[in-house]
Amino acid sequence: MHASSDETFRIGIDVGGTFTDLVFAGSAGSLLTRKVPTTPSEYGRGIVGGIAAVLTDEGIAADRVESVVHATTVATNTILEGRGAKAALITTKGFRDVLEFRRLRIPQMYTLSFKRPEPLVPRNLRFELDERLSGAGEVVTPLSLGEVDALAVRLACEGVEAVAICLINSYANKTHEIAVTERLRERLPDVFITASADLLPEIREYERTSTTVVNAYLGPVLTRYFDSLTASLRGIGVVSPVQVMKSDGGVMSVQAASLKPAYIVESGPSAGVIGAADLARSKNLPDLITLDMGGTTAKAAMVEGGKVSKTSDYEVGAGINLSSRLVMGGGHALKLPVIDISEIGAGGGSIVGFDRAGAMTVGPQSAGADPGPVAYDAGGENPTLTDAMILLGFINPDYLVGGALKLNSALAEEVMRDKVIDVVGTSLEEAAHGIFQISAGTMVRAVKAVSTFRGRDPRDFSLFAIGGNGPVLAAEIAEALEMKRVVIPLNPGVFSAYGLLRTPIEQEMAQSCLGAVDAEGADMLNAVYGRLEAELLELMAEEGCPAETVVLSRQADLRYIGQAHELSVPVTTQPDGQVDIDAMRAAFHAEHRQTYGHAIENSQIQSVNLRVVGTVPLDQAAQIDMGGALRHDGALPAPRRVYFGATHGFHETPILRRASLGEAPSDGPLIIEEYDTTCVVPPNWAAACDAGGNIVLTRKEAQQ
Amino acid sequence: MKQRTDAITAQVIRNALSSISDEMALVIMRTAHSAIVRDSMDYSTGLCDRKGRIIAHGMTMALHLGSFPDAMQKLVAATADDTNPGDVFVFNDPYVAGGMHLPDVYIVKPVFVKDQLEGYACTLVHQTDMGGLAPGSTAVYAKEIYQEGVRIPILKLFDRGVANDTFFKMMALNTRLPEMVIGDMQSQIAAVTSAARAFEALVMRYGAQVFRDFIEEMHARSEEMMREEIRALPDGTYRFTDYVDGLGETPEEIRLELAITVAGDEIIIDWTGSSDEVRGAINCPIPFTKAAGYLAVKCVTDADIPNFEGFTYPIRTVAPEGCIVNPRPPAACAARALMGWRMLDTLFGALGQILPERVPAAGEGGVTFPVIAGRINGEAFVCTETLAGSGGAFPWRDGEHGIPNPGGNGTNQPVEMIEAQFPVRMTRYGLVPNSGGPGKFRGAPAFVREYQLLAPEAGLIMRSDRRHHLPYGVDGGAPGTPCYNILNPGENQVVLPVMPMEQVQMKAGDIFCHISAGGAGNGDALERDPALVAQDLLLELITPDYARDVYGVVLGEDGQPDPAATETQRSRLRAERGEGVDTTYLRHYLAPLNLTAPRIEEERLFSCAPMPRLAAE
Repeated sequence: MHASSDETFRIGIDVGGTFTDLVFAGSAGSLLTRKVPTTPSEYGRGIVGGIAAVLTDEGIAADRVESVVHATTVATNTILEGRGAKAALITTKGFRDVLEFRRLRIPQMYTLSFKRPEPLVPRNLRFELDERLSGAGEVVTPLSLGEVDALAVRLACEGVEAVAICLINSYANKTHEIAVTERLRERLPDVFITASADLLPEIREYERTSTTVVNAYLGPVLTRYFDSLTASLRGIGVVSPVQVMKSDGGVMSVQAASLKPAYIVESGPSAGVIGAADLARSKNLPDLITLDMGGTTAKAAMVEGGKVSKTSDYEVGAGINLSSRLVMGGGHALKLPVIDISEIGAGGGSIVGFDRAGAMTVGPQSAGADPGPVAYDAGGENPTLTDAMILLGFINPDYLVGGALKLNSALAEEVMRDKVIDVVGTSLEEAAHGIFQISAGTMVRAVKAVSTFRGRDPRDFSLFAIGGNGPVLAAEIAEALEMKRVVIPLNPGVFSAYGLLRTPIEQEMAQSCLGAVDAEGADMLNAVYGRLEAELLELMAEEGCPAETVVLSRQADLRYIGQAHELSVPVTTQPDGQVDIDAMRAAFHAEHRQTYGHAIENSQIQSVNLRVVGTVPLDQAAQIDMGGALRHDGALPAPRRVYFGATHGFHETPILRRASLGEAPSDGPLIIEEYDTTCVVPPNWAAACDAGGNIVLTRKEAQQ
Repeated sequence: MKQRTDAITAQVIRNALSSISDEMALVIMRTAHSAIVRDSMDYSTGLCDRKGRIIAHGMTMALHLGSFPDAMQKLVAATADDTNPGDVFVFNDPYVAGGMHLPDVYIVKPVFVKDQLEGYACTLVHQTDMGGLAPGSTAVYAKEIYQEGVRIPILKLFDRGVANDTFFKMMALNTRLPEMVIGDMQSQIAAVTSAARAFEALVMRYGAQVFRDFIEEMHARSEEMMREEIRALPDGTYRFTDYVDGLGETPEEIRLELAITVAGDEIIIDWTGSSDEVRGAINCPIPFTKAAGYLAVKCVTDADIPNFEGFTYPIRTVAPEGCIVNPRPPAACAARALMGWRMLDTLFGALGQILPERVPAAGEGGVTFPVIAGRINGEAFVCTETLAGSGGAFPWRDGEHGIPNPGGNGTNQPVEMIEAQFPVRMTRYGLVPNSGGPGKFRGAPAFVREYQLLAPEAGLIMRSDRRHHLPYGVDGGAPGTPCYNILNPGENQVVLPVMPMEQVQMKAGDIFCHISAGGAGNGDALERDPALVAQDLLLELITPDYARDVYGVVLGEDGQPDPAATETQRSRLRAERGEGVDTTYLRHYLAPLNLTAPRIEEERLFSCAPMPRLAAE
């Protein structure tokens, strides 16, 4: 299918640990997809090479690219691998160690040997300034610019690449931080400088410091990355705006993201969840647990009633994120909104090994994209889950990425005999199936983290499987959790990239504002909202979103006076543009009752943070034609012999395409091969294709 | 043991119970009014079965877990014939109601499913002020419990859904902070109410019989797991003694004598020989004594043993009536937590002889508890903090700072939150140079926290310890550094006792400085890897003279250790060494603080370092 010559395109790019997925959505409804290997040494190369190939193959001129939206794990990986900038922290005299004390709390109980994460800025690079503001924002000790100048010399000597500035009580008065920032920018023009008052002007010094430090640690690395990507795109003639997904599922320009990379730390995993929620709303799907499994990690999230759950109590680098606010202290606090996702280090590239007790382990180490599984024949020497899945017959070595990537199953078998069979002493297929089951068990934990760990029963949900490997393992995982239904959307292997194109542009601006929510406090609220909105519109206009396209909404974090934790409520305005105080109070009482079961109607309400969100809505007219994936010609491949474990044994298994499935369930065993993934239907499961093109798997004994 | 409940249902119910407990904890954290609850997290939540046995504990104060069983037994016994849907119970008294000290108020709601009692939703919150002779109701200098505030026997806070107005009126009149205390009680009520709904839905979903069978299986399973763990330990009696400095200006030491006996699949924790109860508020009622024992054993055994009461059955506590860890009424006990922390140190001292790899040298000695209270513009304020975070060293790793004491899992209060609420300015929160005990692996550095008073005047109440009886080192590691309370640090500073027996008066501008004890070391300091010493120096945790005098490490111009000069210096230090533990390292810590060496109880140092390994009798 070739696109018409005046059709313009938006490109979604999801850079995973192993593959980079590209989705081109045309203004006339065309949908083109492509999967290319990720190039970890220089991510931009894989992206730009992939785009150039699609443009050439499909005969699309580069100037017909309207926008590029992109999700990346570069930020997370930079923190996990400790490859961030050499950063310094400047703070108020007496508070050098706030970053290291954290909030003390640890994510485990009954443990004596917990090790706290090493701070991203070591103690010798944390500096104090003799300045002080009071809690009300009054100057107690004035700032000395001479002291800042002396510090600038020291920072230059140390050769730091980034500086985070977080002064005590700066949420109440930004002037000291602004003065330090401006002075350092003059003195150290090549250094990335970030101030907490600019990033997160909210009370609580540890959370604000940590967020600012994460931003500084990432800044130089992400700036280099975005600059190189933008330049490479320009090099092939793509001059459209480039955007990146934020951790909360909105998108921002790469220019903004270079300055505030802390907002995109969880960019990578968010897109698939946003896409799933979009589909759940439009297709009236039931409540879903999404499972996104690629080559390196698996991610689970919950979509209930079409809504994605978000949190701003988040930490980066804490290993598996069990998504509970009580389980904190394992990572670096990042107090910015993020989609609530649990993630675990298990994917197709997960390496098989043995622990000291002799038990087999799969992951969390991954062969990644380079060298990749042994069967990739690119120098991999350790057996991986993908190698096992080839030997089981689940994956067709000649049809990965539509046959573009040929796998060498003989090598996979050889390494399995050398490094696994000799140790476990079983048959080849039993060992491979053991690897498969152990991986599924690990994945089950990620699903539990968003369901049973919160008292939700996974049996009430459908498993929504995406990513290159999600549909291979989905039935096995559903079986373990007794889930009765698995849904696999169209283009599952590049679904996250599709999700990127279902995301409205969203920018947010917030300000701490401690004040009473009553008639007397109204003036201050009106003034702060007015200023925030003006600043936000200006910022978005700079990013190519003219004011008339932006829809503004107001939110406020409120609490009863005396409480320490806030609830966020939407704020409405009266026809004259003034804040509707009565509605604000009523909304807070209602939210408090909804969340905690009671409200204190006669109590004073206090505002803590005010927030303005600007959204440029999606153009709903251009519905993407997802049906392209269903059109398929050519004969079906011959059945092959597949091993389904000791219970079911070997089966001569028919190989289908999605289009060959009907609305009536076909009994397993079946294998459905597609361009971007493989769906395995075990003997006790059945598969159908619904009207929306989704594959729906059901457990046979559960069908009645 | 045969497991009748299917594996998935069992997992879902178990996780749902934990999750309901965690949700209760979140409701309290988010709706509480006092800083001690919402920012220090001094509270606990849990669920009990219909017999009052614990079946889940929220991610809250670890030491509180073991204090539910006694309280719930008393509650069930006292209310068995008069428990109805819509009831909510309240109590705090350690002697008649199984409580711990008066500020810890229990609010418990029975859960009914189809008119059958199926369990209890339980909360325990440290209330900011329960009246009594000092703001905060934790005066160390109370002589008997009548001075400590309102004693609440087991009462109905709600009777079939009807609020007990008499109680609320009495309570409001007897606390200095009625709005805060009633507000925090409302938070507890909200938590148990929502938990009871979720608990009911859970039982409805699986059916009462499936649920009850599952509970019995889990009690049995957790008991069996604990017995298996104990069976793996070598039989024998393991003894350890630790001390509390004592009360006031001229403290008399308080002795905690412990014998842990491992016999087959049971453990006996025997405190016989410990000091008698005292005329001060640090007596520790027996429920908390048992809790300390359960916690210590849980910390050194398999972390996966579920929090079902069955795990406590193989652990027996012995404490003669009238001793400091099993006092008789009306002994005062407001600051009893101090004994809890020291009991943990003592328990780990004994358990370390069995499992030296799993147990660190002593840490800071538990949470210290400063209260700064007064009135400003006619209104009372009570600024209460719980401070901890300097761990002892393992035989394989340095002690960790920036983490809580294992007995609690509390948080520090943000400096900015304190300043937003109280007439106090925080002037310092940081690590103290040359602190902590040296060793092959060193203890964590001490921390310092300073409060400047902005109100015209206020009173300071302080509960701390570990100035004369230092945190014990292990295997030749040096003891941790002593704890100090200093008024107006500098030339005219006043050094306050660890536990002043009166309110210390503060005027506007006065600075109160608390320096925690530092964690103790493990192994000989002269065997420490010189690279680690250089790293500590780079991070400015120690000074160059400390590296040279204490560790015998001499650095070259490049900041890296000079191997030859280091070996010479270490040989010299070894040759100069006398018998016993050398405490001259303390001068590097004390001099910059303008302090002279404290009286250090030598006996204490020799009794624990080096520690005999596997010295079973």
